[in-house]
Amino acid sequence: MSLQMQTLLVANRGEIALRIMRTAARLGVRTVAVHTDLDADAPHVRAADHAVRVPSYLDVDAVVAAAIETEADAVHPGYGFLSERSAFAAALEAAGVTLVGPSAAVMEQMGRKDLARDVAVAAGVPVVPTGAEADYPVLVKAAAGGGGKGMRVVRSEAEMAEATAAAQREAASAFGDDTMLVEKYVESGRHVEVQVMGDVHGTVLHLGERDCSTQRRHQKVLEEAPAPTLDEATRARVRQAAVDLAAHVGYTGAGTVEFLLDNATGEFYFLEMNTRLQVEHPVTELVTGLDLVELQLRVAAGEPLPLAQDDVVLTGHAIEARVYAEDSFGGFLPQAGRATTVVWPTGPGVRVDQALESGQTVSTAYDPMLGKVVAHGPDREAARRTLVAALDRTAVLGLTTNAGFLRVLAASEEFRDATIDTAWLDHHEVPAPDAGPARRAAARALHDAQRERRGPFASDGFRLGGPPAPVVVDLDERVVLDGPTPVPAAALVTPGRVEVALEGQRFVFEPADARAPSAAVGDGTLLAPMPGTVLDVRVAAGEAVAEGQVLGTMEAMKMELSLTAPFAGTVTDVGAAAGAQVPLGAPLFVVEADAAGDA
Amino acid sequence: MRELVDELRERLAAARQGGSEAARTKHTDRGKLLVRDRVDRLLDPGSPFLELSPLAADGMYGAPGQSPVPSAGVVTGIGRVHGRDVVVVANDATVKGGTYYPMTVKKHLRAQQVASDNHLPCVYLVDSGGAFLPMQDDVFPDREHFGRIFFNQANLSARGIPQVASVMGSCTAGGAYVPAMSDETVIVKEQGTIFLGGPPLVKAATGEVVTAEELGGGDVHARRSGVVDHLADDDAHALSIVRGIVDTLPRPAAAPWEVREPEEPALDPATLYDVVPADTRTPYDVREVIRRLVDGSRFQEFKALYAETLVCGFAHVWGHPVGIVANNGILFSESARKGAHFVELCNQRGIPLVFLQNITGFMVGKEYENAGIARDGAKLVTAVACSVVPKLTVVIGGSFGAGNYGMCGRAYDPRFLWMWPNARISVMGGEQAASVLATVAGRPDDEDFKAPIREQYETQGSPYYATARLWDDGVIDPVDTRRVLGMGLEAASHAPVPQPSYGIFRM
Repeated sequence: MSLQMQTLLVANRGEIALRIMRTAARLGVRTVAVHTDLDADAPHVRAADHAVRVPSYLDVDAVVAAAIETEADAVHPGYGFLSERSAFAAALEAAGVTLVGPSAAVMEQMGRKDLARDVAVAAGVPVVPTGAEADYPVLVKAAAGGGGKGMRVVRSEAEMAEATAAAQREAASAFGDDTMLVEKYVESGRHVEVQVMGDVHGTVLHLGERDCSTQRRHQKVLEEAPAPTLDEATRARVRQAAVDLAAHVGYTGAGTVEFLLDNATGEFYFLEMNTRLQVEHPVTELVTGLDLVELQLRVAAGEPLPLAQDDVVLTGHAIEARVYAEDSFGGFLPQAGRATTVVWPTGPGVRVDQALESGQTVSTAYDPMLGKVVAHGPDREAARRTLVAALDRTAVLGLTTNAGFLRVLAASEEFRDATIDTAWLDHHEVPAPDAGPARRAAARALHDAQRERRGPFASDGFRLGGPPAPVVVDLDERVVLDGPTPVPAAALVTPGRVEVALEGQRFVFEPADARAPSAAVGDGTLLAPMPGTVLDVRVAAGEAVAEGQVLGTMEAMKMELSLTAPFAGTVTDVGAAAGAQVPLGAPLFVVEADAAGDA
Repeated sequence: MRELVDELRERLAAARQGGSEAARTKHTDRGKLLVRDRVDRLLDPGSPFLELSPLAADGMYGAPGQSPVPSAGVVTGIGRVHGRDVVVVANDATVKGGTYYPMTVKKHLRAQQVASDNHLPCVYLVDSGGAFLPMQDDVFPDREHFGRIFFNQANLSARGIPQVASVMGSCTAGGAYVPAMSDETVIVKEQGTIFLGGPPLVKAATGEVVTAEELGGGDVHARRSGVVDHLADDDAHALSIVRGIVDTLPRPAAAPWEVREPEEPALDPATLYDVVPADTRTPYDVREVIRRLVDGSRFQEFKALYAETLVCGFAHVWGHPVGIVANNGILFSESARKGAHFVELCNQRGIPLVFLQNITGFMVGKEYENAGIARDGAKLVTAVACSVVPKLTVVIGGSFGAGNYGMCGRAYDPRFLWMWPNARISVMGGEQAASVLATVAGRPDDEDFKAPIREQYETQGSPYYATARLWDDGVIDPVDTRRVLGMGLEAASHAPVPQPSYGIFRM
């Protein structure tokens, strides 16, 4: 059935903008991209039929104006940015442009956690005990929050005030609203969420549930459908609760109702409802065979949902891994830079939603998610193995991503056995992959790039009347190239540097020939650990400082970092100024050890 | 032949050991790399190394059957550094402290000659106590003695052939000039020393007491004296710096001849063992050898029907065009004229020459002398002597008398000359020499007179006697001939070929 929609403005960027445009194009809908100056050349701009520059993806007036100017019938907000801003929904309603999503009123109601909870109680959906009803440990979280920002776990009354203040600060900067909620904190739980879809004709369906328990600091890492640990009775109850809640508010479009499943009791509690398409929607699409964006667009166009609950059939199992620009084995610090070589996996059972191609620059200005590698198989184990193999074939060179971390995690016994709860990653160290095989692969790549392939001077180590000399490549260690060598997903040899991606992980080696004299920066120099903004400078040159004393703070990727004195001494140089943008490795403070000290 | 090759391999393996086990352990315990390990690390990973005269000084300077100065205490050869062909000269300090015996000097000078002929940069890995003092009269004063090393350095540098040195141990007295005369020099800290007079000499001369490090250590020369340009932490670091220096050198000019895509011979070179008899007196067709050396086993013969004892023709070796001159019997007047004509052709066309030498000599006897075989032999010798294209000679059998001259023996400046383990070289055969001398002495049938002469020729005609004295660039396994020729041609392709001109051909 052809869609009653001519033009769709996609108010987003990156992989989700591309993913929405793919469906729109398939349905014959013209697409309009919005972009900032930084993104003028971004893949989503090139994929669209029209592009409109906006000062910011968060600029409601500019995006609405772009929709009017391009005569868009509808706006798809994707996730993040304006997707859950009721003010945006209201502005579009006022302008007569359809938002692909619920009404401003429903969004307002469900977007605020305090209001959403009241709705859940009214709909008969179990909720987490809050306020005075809740015993420690409790979770303090922003009422307007999401994505793990503005949240703190508090285990005793003593910590309460400080934790609340910190959460409020983050909430205020992230959402412009520092209203806080307190609720029961489940020590070991699983994150189970139900995909719902409602139309304007009163139908609300569920499309099964997802389990997103593999999280780090409330950021989802691996997501799967269906949930692997639910018994059938609980599964049915969870799905019904989600449908009841959505029906109760007259929900339209795609939404996700999140629940916390208490491993101790088997009880589940309503957490929140996301009134948008989720990052992890592909796992639902793979097991249901449905195109959620298409359903969203049809609902937005006023069509009834083209299927009934009984038509929703789940096939097999799907797992998604989120690829982020972050150094997972180096303190999870955000990474930025030019992605010189990008290889995404392909093949049966593999889906990749991404917006990163070779040569593209990844900045810290936007969300660090680069793409999603999703695997589908007849059962969970098959899907998991497919995912591991797909991550093995994933390579981003030029900057470090978490693909190697995802690979180790997906291959772990804990994930295989579905024993990872929502707090597991916060308490367990995922072992970094051994550099040995990567070093061999890098040595081989370097040798292949430089060796003489034929002719009398071919690099076979020929020696007169004796055994050939072994081929030895000098990286940070000497590597004798004999025997089998692992084949990397990508390798890049540039002057003074060899990069390989092996099992998802990027490794960088420096050939011995390029070895520079040791760096001049001493132990007392504090370098910017990431590119970002200096928030606060607390010391001046000449000031005496104690070991561990905070000299200043910086912010990058919406995370605060303290820079502390490595030892007691005197600050001799301050290279930081509050508000300054600093690149990675910029010297911020220099501390000289006390002359009296014998250290 | 296989037995001869096995013997060669054994001799080479022994020479590669370098000094005694005690000397090697002492060397490595100081954190120093053994000389061949230094060469391996200097060269690109997997680079082949065309070692020159590894059996130099074999059987010399000791009791009969002993070789106390293996490889003459210095490793020389051609290898690749950052893709560039270089000549390496590396002292082996485990052999008599790396001091210079007469053959050490000769080998060092030969390496510089190779660099000069082929325009190859020189890398000196210095670790030597200087001249071997007990033999100073055979090392120091003459034209082709120690001083010539520095004369060559100056003149090579003047011709734009880079001179790079890395001081990885002692560098005393005259030896101090190797780094000092180099274009760019590295020293290993707390290991390399450079001084004209060592601490004992200083004390004797002026009474000053000073340590070697204070006198001429790495720190002194890198920071104060300016004798060196780079200070390295250790051997590996020094070699890495040298590699960096070589990487900055300008690329060599393109080959003066057209180089094609190489092609394997259709006949496996390994079957050379089956076609070449070990006894040089057994005749065979030299074309069997040629077909196992050249690209695609294709050989375009010149004057195939004329003077069949000298085979001439064109082929390619590893893509390089070559004119091959190969003996297939004794040289007659017409063979010499054919050879002279062919050598002129190659010079006219700028095609390198390969001589496959297996020659008992020119034909003798009244008929031939009266017909002027000396006149025709002179034509061939003139053509070969005045030849301007690179010449590469392989002695694949006998090398006797004037045949050695006409077939580009060592005296005719081939760019490289190698011998097979079955080769024999002398002014004439032992039997003939014994007969001639016995006749001259009036004792034509005296076996007691002839036997020692035969034995002397037998000993001195051996390829090991020859290679020990640097009459060649090495004894090679016949199966390696193609590879070695290819490396030689590749090296030779870096130098330009001038216009040919000749002396008077005696008509």
